[in-house]
This record gives sequence, structure tokens and C-alpha cells, in this order.
Amino acid sequence: MIVVNYVGAVVLFCVGLFGVLARRNLIKIIMGLSVMEAATYLLLVSLAYHGGSTAPVLTQPPHGMTRAQVVHGNVADPVLQNFCLTAIVIGVAVTAVFLTVAVRVGQHYRSMDADDVKALHG
Amino acid sequence: MIEQRAAEHAERELHARSDFHRVWLALLLVGAFAAILVLGVIGLPRESAALPAVARHAMEIALPRWGQTEVVSAIIYGARGFDTFGETFLLLAAVVSVVTLSRAREPRHEYVGEASAGQAEQEQLGHKSSEDESSEDEQEHEAREAEEDEEDDDSSDGPADPDRIGLGARAPERARAMSVVVRVGARAAAVVLAVCGIYLATWGYTPGGGFPAGAAVSGVVLLLYAALGHRAVRAAVRPGVLEPIELVGATVIIVVGVLGLVLTGSLFANFLPLAQPQTILAGGVQQIYSFAELIEVATGLTIAIFSLLGMRREWSGDDEDDASEDDTGDAS
Amino acid sequence: MNIQPLLPLPVVLPIAGAVTAPLLSRWHRRLPLIVAIITMLAAMGVLAVIARQVYGGSGHLVSEYLSGEHPFSGKALGIALVAGPFGMAFALLTATLGLLLLVSALSELGDLGQRELGVLACLMQLLLAALIGSALTADTVNLFVWFEVAALASYGLTGFFLEQPTALEAAFKVLVLTSIAGFLVFMGSAILYRAAGGLNLGQLHHAAALMNGTPGQVGVGLLLAGFATKAGLVPFHTWLPDAHAQGPSAVSALFSALMVDLGIVAIARISLQMLGAEEGRHALVLLTWAGMVSALLGALMALVQDDLKRLLAWDTVSQCGVLVVGFASAKAEGVAGAVYHLLNHGLFKALLFLCAGAILHATGTARLSEMGGLARRRPFITAGFTVGALAISGVPPLNGFASLGLIHKGIEDDPVIHVLAIVAQIITVAALGRATYLGFYRRRQQPYEHLAPSHAGMRFSLVALGAGCAAFGALPGVLIDHVAAPAASILLHPGTFAEGTLKGAAVVPKLTVSFSYTSVSDLIMSAVEIVLGGLLALLVVRHGEPRPVTWIRRLHSGSVNDYVAFAVVGMIVYCGALLG
Repeated sequence: MIVVNYVGAVVLFCVGLFGVLARRNLIKIIMGLSVMEAATYLLLVSLAYHGGSTAPVLTQPPHGMTRAQVVHGNVADPVLQNFCLTAIVIGVAVTAVFLTVAVRVGQHYRSMDADDVKALHG
Repeated sequence: MIEQRAAEHAERELHARSDFHRVWLALLLVGAFAAILVLGVIGLPRESAALPAVARHAMEIALPRWGQTEVVSAIIYGARGFDTFGETFLLLAAVVSVVTLSRAREPRHEYVGEASAGQAEQEQLGHKSSEDESSEDEQEHEAREAEEDEEDDDSSDGPADPDRIGLGARAPERARAMSVVVRVGARAAAVVLAVCGIYLATWGYTPGGGFPAGAAVSGVVLLLYAALGHRAVRAAVRPGVLEPIELVGATVIIVVGVLGLVLTGSLFANFLPLAQPQTILAGGVQQIYSFAELIEVATGLTIAIFSLLGMRREWSGDDEDDASEDDTGDAS
Repeated sequence: MNIQPLLPLPVVLPIAGAVTAPLLSRWHRRLPLIVAIITMLAAMGVLAVIARQVYGGSGHLVSEYLSGEHPFSGKALGIALVAGPFGMAFALLTATLGLLLLVSALSELGDLGQRELGVLACLMQLLLAALIGSALTADTVNLFVWFEVAALASYGLTGFFLEQPTALEAAFKVLVLTSIAGFLVFMGSAILYRAAGGLNLGQLHHAAALMNGTPGQVGVGLLLAGFATKAGLVPFHTWLPDAHAQGPSAVSALFSALMVDLGIVAIARISLQMLGAEEGRHALVLLTWAGMVSALLGALMALVQDDLKRLLAWDTVSQCGVLVVGFASAKAEGVAGAVYHLLNHGLFKALLFLCAGAILHATGTARLSEMGGLARRRPFITAGFTVGALAISGVPPLNGFASLGLIHKGIEDDPVIHVLAIVAQIITVAALGRATYLGFYRRRQQPYEHLAPSHAGMRFSLVALGAGCAAFGALPGVLIDHVAAPAASILLHPGTFAEGTLKGAAVVPKLTVSFSYTSVSDLIMSAVEIVLGGLLALLVVRHGEPRPVTWIRRLHSGSVNDYVAFAVVGMIVYCGALLG
């Protein structure tokens, strides 16, 4: 039933996308993008899951299994988890820059409404 | 001209009631996109599918080649170390971007055309908003008053913490730090959290090693800032102190990679002997990489946060002494 | 000599320079940029050594696996860096142009504040390193990482002049749209990994059959949409005119000449090297049309702009469309022409942007309606701009003629696309002609308020770029035989690419692309385009902007929500076209 997770991630992504499309407040647009980010993490971690798998860790094999059995057995995908960690760091970095730009835009335009920030058009 | 302004103002009043922008179009587009994504995602291999060969290979080499029991860390700092290298400098790019965008204004020594173009643009904007009537003005007036109050706060002698405000005083709390209960608790918690954070990078073999540990250490600095006030942490979080440390962390990572190239012929390959797994030196080069990552992430995030907090308003033409700082030619 | 260990060095060297930049500025304000120039020279040197082996004979492919993780039975966990004729062309272009732009930045901006120069040097080097990294990598996740590094560096560089409100507005818009692009690339790569089981481009090529189902096609669609945003293809282009017109001139030149190429190179790799001409035929048709619409839209919008840098940015949108059309033709001439045009576009676009930026920096305005009379006052910059405009227009001794001629030859099988390409070229000629006349040659009675002098370093870069345009135009035979044809060959023989990536080395099959300078039909076509373009420019100058263009301009309302709406429409169209 992992398909529920996939569809849930897609729905969450679209909720965030709706926020970016329909909301005019700059901070709410940033929040919409954060929700989209979280949705991609959910999608990735769900993609990494295999039915009944254990974590890809060899530190303390689950009860009754040896390390070799974990290595060749049913394990969640570590490559996608690595990819997800990469993306989490990217998300933090981008949010920091976003908030700085939002503050500066507010200082110049004296408004957090995207319709007031339209000096560049055409 | 005047009718145009009145019409714009009326339109803006109308807009002011709705925070949304073309909801119907947004729903339509989002619905269509969701349908396409769901179609794509339903066809993906389900949980019963086999592990891809690449992932199985990663599981198999984690212990023998990289000497680590945490497979995800073995991939991050070992097999795909170049991605993490890119990651580190991504974070550096973000921190430097934040510093660029929140920098203080420095005098320039020559005519810079962009500066006068910027002044022209600002005048255009200022001109527009000053023509508007009542409601915009009120909101802006309140905002400017609040900004001035905040500025006064910094220089005024508020009480050091809320416990020192006399009983029965009616003034709102303007203390610089929090009450004694919070301060003691924060000091105790900070030590525990800092040790936990560093433990994560050295002994806990978390997936990610230095990254979550760096975030935890940065969180400790924020906790102390919130509880003890700016003056207590000011000396430690100056850019002059943190930036060299961050750059040392980044340099260690580059050196580790290049040494791998020089000694074994492949960038980021392991060139140290592999110690026993689950000891502090397990994984050879990867522990050094992870620790340098911890330093870089912790300092980087702290620099970014305190730059953001310390932004001033000198670029947007609100302060009168901007014009004198900027030598825009002799004509002015 | 074994060059494989050298492959990561062109990426590591600028990054090492970037690390030292913020601290070096405390000693002397110009030191970070000087160090940047030195690291770029070093990177160029390493690339030259690698290029000698890669471009020998009919071309070679060399791959190196980092961290010692070599492939096993046709699959790869480790990250592969591949030096082939295509990737090396882009990497060499980046290093050379980066060097010239850093010299120009040092001389033009050398009197900025200490902190400003430190962070400028740091961000420019990170951007250049990311571009070289994306040129050499053959791994989808690594490509995503370099894409994001370039994006983050570009955010700081776009908002560099904090006194300009438009710079910050542009920074916000580029942030929103490029973040969404990042999410698309991320999801696309993950979906492809799950569907086809790999991250290495060579491995994915062998598994291309697995990507035929719905998930694979949606994944490819998301990847193409994400990279199309970076490349500025319609309808993801809306951030480009805003962002490329901000920032110092060297930075704008960097964006327009090099950063958009990241998207285009990635699109070429995905559609031609990962999928191949048979599996990817839907993608190629989609890209042809997207490119064509971009070419027309960009040219039309460039025709009516007042701000010179914005006009040049719209022209970038148009040229990127032309490049994608060339790549998507999947024919030897078209692809070779596109590779050649990639190099040429870098040269003349950087030249034009440096001229525009020099004017803005010297006079404080870059609006065509406020400029004029510069032919007499600033003959050097005027000459540079004229050379650039002639190069884009495809005037024979300069470089545009050969590359555009090759692209048009590649698409001549499809009459509709061919005619549209010629129309787009006519409008481009008109746009640049109008800009040159209004901005530089028109008479101006009143003197300028400020007319700061231009510096030696800026002139050096302008001369170098102009000379480059002339040289690339005068020696098309050499470039086509030794650079463009091997690059086209490796793009059109994805099997060889996959083999070379997984086994470590391969020889590129020989591909003959012929171009004759004296072909009468080409010369006549070029003359016709220039004459018609000139007439169109005259019409627009006399009568103002045509009605349909006003309507398109109104569509670009400036609201972030609208721009994201266009991007979502684009995402739906791209994925839908691949599924259908």
C-alpha cells in the first residue's frame, strides 16, 4: 500500500503549488514552496521503502539476523535516502536566501503583496 | 492623471479584501498537474519489487571497503563523496548569498551607475506610495513607528531580564534576556544538546553525520541567543569570528579530497587505514570529512541566521545619512 | 599520459579560490578577484591538457570514477566524470569566458566596498565551478547538485546591487521559479532511478527500454521541464529577462552566456545521450516546438524593449530556443551547428552584455530612449556592440553566419520549422539593429550628466571577445572538423557514450559535417534576412510597437503568481506531450 504514500506526496506537492499560485503574500508563497519541499522528501523516502524491509544499518542487526543476512536481505534503499539528505540541505539553504530577499523586498516596496512588486513587467 | 490614481487606489482596495489571486485558474492547473503526477506515480514499482542492483552493491561494500556499519553515511562520505562536496559548497553559496543580501552599506569610491539608477528607481517607488490615500498610509505609518521603536529599544537601557521589572509596573516587557528559570534551563540544556550534537557526528553514525550534527549545534546557539539575549552571544557570533572557522572547515574538506587524489589517484578516495567499525576512527577519511562538515554547517547556518537578524535599512533610502556616504560624483 | 585523475581538478580549483575569497578581501579589496583570475587560469590550463587528448583524431571519451567506486557489470554506484568532445567544449567555453569576465569585473568594479568584492568573487567562482562540474558529470544526482549550486550562487548575484529595488524583485522571481525547477529535477531523477534502477547516464541509456512506461515518461518530462527553466525555454522563461538585466555587467554576461547553457547541455544530454533518437522521439518533437516558440517569442519581445539589458536577455531566450531546435533536430548538421552556436552565443552575448553594462556603469542609464550619441562619445564600446550585433545577425565574416547556417541546414527537412526559424532570425536582426541605432548611433544633442571613463581591463575583455567572434567566424572549418563534429558525433552515438562511461574510454566515431562558406544559397539567404530585418527595424522605430506584441507584453504581467502559472502550464504540456 505504498501507493497511498506516493499519491499523498503528490497531493501535498499540489497543495503547496496551489499556495504558490494563488496566494499573493510573499511569505505565504515561501511557505507554499516549503510544503512542496516536504512533499518531495516524503515521495523520496516512500520510494526508498520495500515491503517489510529493515533499515539499511549494520550496527545492530534485528533479532535473529546476522549482518550478512541484513546485507543480502530485505533492506530499504540507502541511495535514495542519501539523495533525500542532499535535498534537505538544499531546502534549508534556499529558505534562508528566500527570507532574506523577502525582507529586502519589504524594505524597498513597503509591501508584502506580490501585486505591488511588479515594477519589472513586459 | 488624478483619475488614474483614484482608479488604481479603488482597485487596490478591492484587492485588499481578497488575499487570493485567480483561485479558479490555480485549482484548474493544480488539478491537471496532480492528475499527471498521479498517473506517473501509480505505475512505479511497488514495495514488492527487488532492490536495485546499485543499492545492493552499496550494502555489500559498506563494511569491507568503507569500514562503516552505517550504510547511508558510507554512501554520503564514501562512495558518493563528490556529491557531498558539491553539497558543502552549495551551503557555502547560500550562506555567502545571505551575507551578500544582508550586508551593510559601504562607501564607494567612484561613480557607480547602478547606484544612481537605483536611486531613480527608489524615487519612483516612493513617489507612487506617497500619493496614495488613507489606508495604505496608515499601515505604513504604523510600520514605520514600530521600526523606530525597535531601534530605540536597542540603545535604551531596558532591564536585563524580566525578573528585574518592579512589581506592579505597567510597562510592557522590554527585557534583553528571559527570566531566570529560562536562563538556567537553557544553560543546562545547551550543554546537553551540544554534546549530543557532537556525539552524533563522532559516535552515533547517524545517516548524514556532520549535517544533522551541525544543525543541532547551530540550534544550541539560537537557544542561547533566545534565552540570554543578544549581548551574551554577541562576541561569539560575530562574522569576524565565525567566517574563518567556516572557511577552515571547507578547506579541510578540499584538502581531504585532494590528498585522496594525490595519494590514491581518485578524488575523495580513502587513504587512511580503516579502523575497527563503530569506533571513533572508523571509516578512515570519512570521519574527518564528517567532522569538517559539522564545523562548516554549524558555523554557516549561524552566520546566515545572525546576518538575517542583523539586517539594517540603509539601502532603501529611509535614512538621511545614506546620501552622504555614497560618493555619486561631484554634481550632487 | 593518464589524464583521468585530472578530471575533477577544473571543478576543485575555482572552489578552492571561492573558499578563500571572503577572508582575502580584508587584506586588500581586489585580492579575491585576482585570486579568482589565477584559479580560472589554472582550471583553463588543466582543461587544455585534457582537451589535447579528447580532441585528437576523431575524438575520444575518457571517464573517471570518483572515490574509487568503479562500475560493476554495467552498473555504477560511484559518480562518473566524463570528458568527451561535447562536455569539454562547454567546460572550455566556461573557463575562458569566465576568465575574461573576471578580468572585466576586476577593472570595472574594483572600487566597490571591501565586503562586496569579497562576496562577488566568491559567488562568481562558485557559479563557474558549478558550470564546469555540470559539463563534466555523467550522473543525474551530481548534475542536480551542480544545478543547485549554480542556482544559489545566481540568487546572490542577481540581488547584488541592493540599492536597486528591481534587483531584489528579480531575485525573488528567480528564486521562486528556479526552486520549482529544482523540485522537478529532483522528483524526475528519483522517479527515473526507481523505474530504471540507476543514476549514471550510461547505465540509464542501456536501461532506456525500462523508461518507456508512464512513470519513466513522467520522470523524463519533469527532468526536461526543470532544465528548461534553467535554459529559459517557453513557458518557463519568465524569470530570465528580469534576472539577467540585474547585477553587474560581468554577472549578467555570465548568466546569459554560460548559465543558460547548463540547462541546454543537460537537455541535450538527456534527450540525445540518455534516451537516444528512437526512444526519445516524443521528447525531440516536444523540444523542437518548445524551442521554436521560444525563438519567436524572445525575438518579438526583444524588438520592443526599452531597457537595453532586458532586450539582450530576451534575445538570450530567443537564441536558447534556436539552440534547442538545433539539438532536437537529431541530424549531424543541426547538432554540430547547435554546438558551434553554443560557443558563438557565449562569445557574442558576453560581448553585448559587457558593452551594455559598461554604458550603465558609466552613464547611469541603460534605457534606449535615454541613450544615443555614444558613437561619438564612446567609440570603443560602440564598436564592440556593433560587432556583437553583426555577429548575431549572421553577417558573413563573423561567427553567427556559419553556426546559424548549419542549424538551418539541419532543420530544412521540416518546412514549417525552417520557415519559422528564418522568421525568428529576421526579427532578431531587427531587434538588434533597432538597439544599435537607438542606443549608439542616433544623434544626441544634450550632453550626458555623467560619463565615467572605461578602464583598461574592460577594454581588454571587449577586444578579446570581439577577436573571438571574428576568429570563430573566419575559421569555421577548423572548429567544425575538430570541435563541433566530434561533439555532434558523441551526442548522436549514445551507445558509444554509454560504453565509454562504463568502461573508462572510448573512441568517438567519425562524423563528417560540411559547411561551405561560399555556398551561394546561404549567402543569399543571409542577405535577405538582413535586409528584411533592417526594414522591420525601421518600421518599428517609426511606428512603435505592433499590436500583437503589446498583447504578449501584457501577458508578462510581472506578478509572481502569473509566472508560476505559466510554468505549471509548461509542466503539464511537457509531461503530457511525452505521455501522449
